[in-house]
Formats: sequence, structure tokens, C-alpha cells
Amino acid sequence: MPDEEIIAAAGSTQWRNEVNAIGITLAGWLVPGLGHALQRMWGRAIACFLSVGLLVAISVGLRGNVFTPAAANDAFDMLGYVADLGTGSFYALARWLEVHGADVSKASGDYGTRFLATAGVLNLLAALHAYETARRPKS
Amino acid sequence: MTLTHIQGLLLFALIVSFALGFLSRRRALDRLKYILLSLALFLLAGIAIGWAMYPFSK
Repeated sequence: MPDEEIIAAAGSTQWRNEVNAIGITLAGWLVPGLGHALQRMWGRAIACFLSVGLLVAISVGLRGNVFTPAAANDAFDMLGYVADLGTGSFYALARWLEVHGADVSKASGDYGTRFLATAGVLNLLAALHAYETARRPKS
Repeated sequence: MTLTHIQGLLLFALIVSFALGFLSRRRALDRLKYILLSLALFLLAGIAIGWAMYPFSK
């Protein structure tokens, strides 16, 4: 095989890997743990799903604030929204489950807000980890 | 549902340590060590910061 064909084939494989890695990252963001599950990293997938799911469930139970862009008064609320959005589909679930609305008049409600933000950041970290492992050359 | 401060701290530290341990380590024993160390550091930092803020609570 001529050198040009080898280089073209390598470039094509690299491009395919990159697209695959981005797809895995998006899947991991949308459903916590899915990015790892698609790579057959079952332990990490279950750990991510359980951790993010538990944090979201506790947050809703504590009646934490689920930020929305419409209700954002300042940059901190917007940052909170971005962090909450990190939970992917669980953000919609949290909004759907929190039927009584937020109650941050007590410390518990405030903890709930932090738990949800942590769930989002943790899920983004997991999605980035999935991206990194998907890009790594397979041995 | 309500949580006391220490319950909130414990739950938070446990869940986050568990996730970080699984993400950053590959072998089971390394994961366990990482989780325990991370948990201890979370609790230590939380309690230390709590005590540091105590004089300002009155």
C-alpha cells in the first residue's frame, strides 16, 4: 500500500474515533453512566448512574432549588443552571419530581441545591472521563 | 425530608468519594483506598471549616 493511502486510512480512522468519542460523551452526559456502559466499563457506569441518581433524588427530597434560565436573576443563578444542566436527562426528572417547588428557607433546602449542582458537575466529569477513554488508542 | 448538617456532610462525602474512587482508579483495592482517603479528607475538611466558622456564628 502506498504511503498516501496509509496516511489517508489513518486519518479516516482517527476522524471516526473522534466522532465516536464525542457521541459517547454526549450519551454519557444525557444518561449518567451511559458513556462508560457503551465502552463496557460496567463498574464505572453503575457508579456514575447511582451517584448522580442518588444526589438528584436527595436534592429533590430536600426541596433544593432547580435553577431555570427564565428564573435566573444574576450570574450565580445562571451558573447554577449550567451546573444543574450537567445532570443531563436527570435535570428534567428533577424538575418533574419537584412538584412542591423549592424551599430554601431551611438549611436542608440549601443542601438540596448544592447536591443537585454537585450531581451535574460530577456527571460532566464522568462524561469527560468517558471521552478521554474513548479517544485512547485501544491496545 | 430533612437532614442535619452532619448527615448532609456524611451523605455528600460518601456519594462523591464513591464516584471519584470508581472514576479515577481501576483496581478494586486501589478504589477502596481512594474512597476511604477521600471520605476521610472530606469529613476532616468539613468539620475543620465548621469549627473555623464557629466564632462567627454568634
